[in-house]
Amino acid sequence: MATHKKIEVLGPGCSRCKETYRVVQHVVDGERLDVEIVKDDSVERMMALGLMSTPGVAIDGKVVVSGRIPKAQEIRELLGLE
Amino acid sequence: MTGIAAAAAANASHPAPRRAWAPAAAALAAAVLLYTQLSRIAGFLTYDLAGLARGGRPGSAVEFFLFEVPKVLLLLTAVVFGVGILRSFFTPERARQLLAGRREASGNVFAALFGIATPFCSCSAVPLFIGFVTAGVPLGVTFSFLISAPMVNEVALVLLFGLFGWKVAALYLGTGLAIAIAAGWVIGRLKLERHVEPWVWQIQSGSGMPAAKRSWADRLTDGRAAVREIVGKVWIYVVAGIAVGAGIHGFVPTHFMASFMGRGVWWAVPLAVVLGVPMYSNAAGIIPIVQALLGKGAALGTVLAFMMSVVALSLPEMIILRKVLRPVLIATFVAVVAAGILAVGYLFNTVM
Repeated sequence: MATHKKIEVLGPGCSRCKETYRVVQHVVDGERLDVEIVKDDSVERMMALGLMSTPGVAIDGKVVVSGRIPKAQEIRELLGLE
Repeated sequence: MTGIAAAAAANASHPAPRRAWAPAAAALAAAVLLYTQLSRIAGFLTYDLAGLARGGRPGSAVEFFLFEVPKVLLLLTAVVFGVGILRSFFTPERARQLLAGRREASGNVFAALFGIATPFCSCSAVPLFIGFVTAGVPLGVTFSFLISAPMVNEVALVLLFGLFGWKVAALYLGTGLAIAIAAGWVIGRLKLERHVEPWVWQIQSGSGMPAAKRSWADRLTDGRAAVREIVGKVWIYVVAGIAVGAGIHGFVPTHFMASFMGRGVWWAVPLAVVLGVPMYSNAAGIIPIVQALLGKGAALGTVLAFMMSVVALSLPEMIILRKVLRPVLIATFVAVVAAGILAVGYLFNTVM
């Protein structure tokens, strides 16, 4: 199961990034997952991950969403819950 | 109809392509039918139901409003949906891959074209800029992309098409692309690389992620998401803009604007450009007002210059870009783009 994963929400802090963070938080809280959520607004981190459009989501250092707000269902699937 | 929609919804995760398309096709058919009847409906509501006098000022203002609001919103929804699907095929990562190492002139042309098709929001301007230049996309080519992406956007094109007709929309598209190509090329010639903040060149950019496989159902979802996001945000400006436009149509005397926005007034174009800079993201509300003014004698070149300035020279984007660009480069960018917009404004005031 999904334990000790690290989810990064990347973006400069625009409303779309905040919404993305909210979606991720909602899934993690709802499923009571042992997951660390980090909000990173540094361009350096985005570049290191190869991300050019925000908002972005990375799970364990791998970009899984870029340039759009993900759905809760999608995050669940990406975390291997369904 | 509802049966098909329900079946499609139930299968939302892995629907057969035909089922995924059915609701979209049905909605399109309904929209087309409604669109063709709008003029009749607006006339009926204004003169028969509300009982306003035909040819009177309040009547013509109300009829204009009742006709234009649903017309523009229908067009906007359809186009944003289509563009949302189209854009699921283009990503900044792919654009970067195709632009890296390309020669300048042709690079500027491709960058401007990619700028139209690639999803872009000004809050992504910084990561996109760094991602491009560190991957070897020339500075001028990067600027062609950054100018074209906000300027030639679907909301502006739909409103221009809906309110001015296809010729003005095509002119806007063509001249907008020309400015993006030319301005990027000029910036490239000026060799301003040293005015990019030095830390940008130190950044190690990753090679980008593997493209995820996306099904047609995912792309249709993208289209719907685009409608929710874009139409959900701009509809209020469209309604407010058309309301003000309707008031101008009904109550401002014809040729009123000719005295200060007409083509004989040389300072009208620069003034339009300066006024456009602090206005941002309200293009949806501004176009209907501008269209009404045009009917009262404002010149087309002035109107186009104003539109372009509103969307291409935005103050928030300049502030965001200040993180990676030194003031000299920002000033050059603004000056070159403003010069292009001025040229377009004067050209159309002279020719049309």
